[in-house]
Amino acid sequence: MKQLLHLAPLALAIAANSASAQSTDDTLARMQEQLNSMQQQLNAAKDDRVRFNGFFSTGIARASNDAGYAGITEETNVADLSLMALQGTFDVTEKTQAVLQLVGRGADDWDPEIEWAYLSHRPTNDLQLRAGKMRVPIFMYSDSLEVGYAQPWARPPQSVYGPIAITSYVGADASYNFNFDSSSLTATAFTGFTDEDGNSGDVELRNIGGLNLTWTDYVWTVRGVAATAEASIDATKLGELAPVPVNSVLADGSRGNFYGIGASYDDGKWQIISEVTRVEVGGKFPDTDSAYLSIGHRFGSWTPYVVAGWIESKDEGERKGAFISGLVPESILNYQRQEYSVGTRWDITPGVAIKADVTHARGLDKGYGNLNTVYMLSDNTTSTNVYTLKIDSAF
Amino acid sequence: MKKLSLIFAASLLVSPLALADVVVIGHSAGPDSITDNQVRDLYLNRSKQLPDGQKAIPFEMSGGDPVRAQFHDKVTGRNAAQLKAFWSKQVFTGRGQPPAELSSAAAMKARVSSTPGSIGYIDEADVDSSVKVILKP
Repeated sequence: MKQLLHLAPLALAIAANSASAQSTDDTLARMQEQLNSMQQQLNAAKDDRVRFNGFFSTGIARASNDAGYAGITEETNVADLSLMALQGTFDVTEKTQAVLQLVGRGADDWDPEIEWAYLSHRPTNDLQLRAGKMRVPIFMYSDSLEVGYAQPWARPPQSVYGPIAITSYVGADASYNFNFDSSSLTATAFTGFTDEDGNSGDVELRNIGGLNLTWTDYVWTVRGVAATAEASIDATKLGELAPVPVNSVLADGSRGNFYGIGASYDDGKWQIISEVTRVEVGGKFPDTDSAYLSIGHRFGSWTPYVVAGWIESKDEGERKGAFISGLVPESILNYQRQEYSVGTRWDITPGVAIKADVTHARGLDKGYGNLNTVYMLSDNTTSTNVYTLKIDSAF
Repeated sequence: MKKLSLIFAASLLVSPLALADVVVIGHSAGPDSITDNQVRDLYLNRSKQLPDGQKAIPFEMSGGDPVRAQFHDKVTGRNAAQLKAFWSKQVFTGRGQPPAELSSAAAMKARVSSTPGSIGYIDEADVDSSVKVILKP
């Protein structure tokens, strides 16, 4: 009924402008607007408690050989990069939400998988508690790992994001936000477990414990993370390739640690991101150090970028034996690689971005890491080029 | 002469083409003033509280609206594509949802005047007694 009061000044306006037909038209248009807004208010009342968002990616990628960098070979495959996700946020109470995220990937025949299913509770403005299935928060882009639209690149740098293929865990976390004048610090403690398909086979992590500190003044962001878990890793995928049964267990309940430092700078024009990570796992599973530096610059709707990445295994002494007796040495598990990417993001319209990327990986001196082992053993490949064209959308 | 100037003044009030400056408006029971940085923090998910401590409920104009572009140019310094990318990151990392969007100044005034703790923005020419101006950015 307040709307009626709003119409009173309009009536006055009509009276004041009776001399001008033009103004009468304007007034009618404005009354129409008022009606529209009343209608909108009626509509808005019902959808406040449930919100749906989604993201979508598709694209083509092709490599100069079958080295299998990021799983990409000479064969172009559209489905491999395609994914569609739907996220629902349900307000249970004013302070409690349930969040569900379903992701269907072309590479998995579009079978929808639940990546997020958690309950979030905010007892105060600065404290958030969550429990359920969530992303393992070890990288700067872990939370938006598959949301291509939220990333500057065609894919996250594989030197850092490649070796750890597990993406989700079941557990709980607590985040506390310290707000300062023009910056904020967020501390997150997390714990839980996971059992997933990794790069080389089955990965199980028990008793995960970790702490994550992120400080930002909204231009600079600095982040540190440390996590530990009991790791059991069975390289069943590698084992299946062997003509005779092999012991493919790389870690059996041994201590695994992860350390990461990240920093980014984004002033609206320059976008500079770097992460340095260390993985340590007792047993034959390779301990690796890795890093990348990414520099991008926005020119209107175009954001070209260059990335340099590096990864190297540190515990070759633990892999002196044979993976397949007399045929394949354990050193195939060693990592060493440098990678260089040049690409661009093009925001064609808010909500849709196209990305093109060329990545060159080389320097495989110590071993092939998680590249295509069979091909690498049968061929004298020393480098690979990967070409990617991708569309990312969020809605 | 007097009549002409009256028509001119009235058409300024009515015509949507007469784009004056954007002003930040609030609910009548909310704070009387707010700083540029506090408004920026509310619209970039950095804060959820008004200066008087009550929970803030920001509203946006819908995408493509010239007042929205003017507001963000002055207050958050982000263009439409940057805002979309920013909010998709917030949404898909579980950090929050963007403000509800309204399609007209009238709808903005109606929502702000009927929602305690709310904050919005309209063209200065659209201001009336239902809302109060708390910042001219």
